[in-house]
Amino acid sequence: MTKLSLLPLILTSVVFAHHGNSAYDETVRVPVKGTVTEFVWSNPHSQIYLDVKDKSGKIVKWGVETNSPGILTRAGWTRRSLKAGDEVTIILCPAKNGQPVAYIGSGDPGTKVIFADGRELDFTDKSIEKTAP
Amino acid sequence: MRLLPAVAILWVSGAAHAQAPAPPHDVSGVWGMQPGGETSEDDKQSPGGAIPPMTAWAKARYNQEKPGYGKRAAPGGNDPILQCDPMGFPRILYFPTPFEFIQVSNRVLQMFERDHVVREIWTDGRALPSDPDPLWYGYSTGKWVDDTTFVVQSTGYDDRTWLGAVGHPHSEGMRLEERYERVDRDTLRFTLKIDDPQAYTQTWVALPRVFKLRPRAEIRQGYCVASEEAAFTRRIREPGALKKGAGSKK
Repeated sequence: MTKLSLLPLILTSVVFAHHGNSAYDETVRVPVKGTVTEFVWSNPHSQIYLDVKDKSGKIVKWGVETNSPGILTRAGWTRRSLKAGDEVTIILCPAKNGQPVAYIGSGDPGTKVIFADGRELDFTDKSIEKTAP
Repeated sequence: MRLLPAVAILWVSGAAHAQAPAPPHDVSGVWGMQPGGETSEDDKQSPGGAIPPMTAWAKARYNQEKPGYGKRAAPGGNDPILQCDPMGFPRILYFPTPFEFIQVSNRVLQMFERDHVVREIWTDGRALPSDPDPLWYGYSTGKWVDDTTFVVQSTGYDDRTWLGAVGHPHSEGMRLEERYERVDRDTLRFTLKIDDPQAYTQTWVALPRVFKLRPRAEIRQGYCVASEEAAFTRRIREPGALKKGAGSKK
C-alpha cells in the first residue's frame, strides 16, 4: 500500500456527513497536495482527480468525491472552478482502507480546496441568508 | 440609560424580521431542512424518531438491505439509489438539497432537486384511490386545516424504495400523513406519521423537522445519471470499499 506522509487533524466533535458512504474517516481532516488531472462535474457526485507525489517521489493517482453540481453551485463553484494543471492542497477525509480515494463536501465542515495562490473553494451555501448577530 | 431606546428599537426590528407572520394558505417557496436534532445514527437522511417494531415481513426485507448510513452502515451495499433508481417518498424529503412548493389552482407541486422530481399533491377535494397502482412518489391529496397548516395524505407507494437512507422498508399499503405548519414567514414545522401495518406493528411518528425558507436558492437539475454513477462507482466507490490491504498495486 502506498505510504504517504499524511498528517491527520483529529476533530473534537463527531461530524454527521451528508453523503451515504461510510468508506471515509470523517473524524479527521488530512491535507493532500497535488496537481489536478481532471475535474468531473457530474450528478450526483462530482469528482476531482489529482497526481500526488509520495515520499519516494512516485506519483500516486488520487480520486476525491465531492458534492453534486447543485450543491456546489450554491457554494459558488462552477464546472470551471478546477482544471487540469492546477496545483492544490485538498483538506479531505481519507478512505478508511488506505486507498487513495477520499471525500470533501458540505457534510464535512473544514474540507476544502486551497490553490497555490491561497484562494479557497469550500462548501458554504451562499444562498442561505446570514442572520444578524 | 440613554442607549436603551436604541437597543430596544434594534431588538424589536430584529424580532420583527425573525418573526414576520406566515401568509395564509401559502407554503410556496424554496425550503431547506435545518440540520440538527438528530439523536441517533438512524435519523440520518431518514424519518428517524421512535421507530416501531418491524413485522416479520419487514424484518426479512430489512435484513437484506445494506445501507450506507445508520447503525448498519458499511462500504459497498445495495442501496437502490447507487444505480440511480428513484429515491421515492418520503426519502427524497430527507436528501440534503432543497425543495420548492409551487401552488396552482388544483394542486400543490413539490419539486425536488434530486432527479428534478415533481410530486403532485391534489387540493381539489378528491379522495385517495382505494386500490392504487404503485407509483415511485405515490398518490397524494392535501388540504388546509387552518390558515397556516397544510396536511397531506398519501398512499400508493412502490415498495422497492427505502423509507430513508438507513434502509427501512415499507409495503405498497403504506399511508402517510404529512403536516407542514408555517409558523412564521421563514419557518415550516414538519411532522410525519407512517401507517404501514404490513411492515410496522405501530404507527411510526417521525422525528419532527424544521424547514427554512431559502429565497435566494434555486432548484437545480440534480438528475442521477446512471452512466455517470457507474463511472464514479468504478473509479472511487469500489476502491473505497475494498477490504483494508486488498487491491494494493502500488
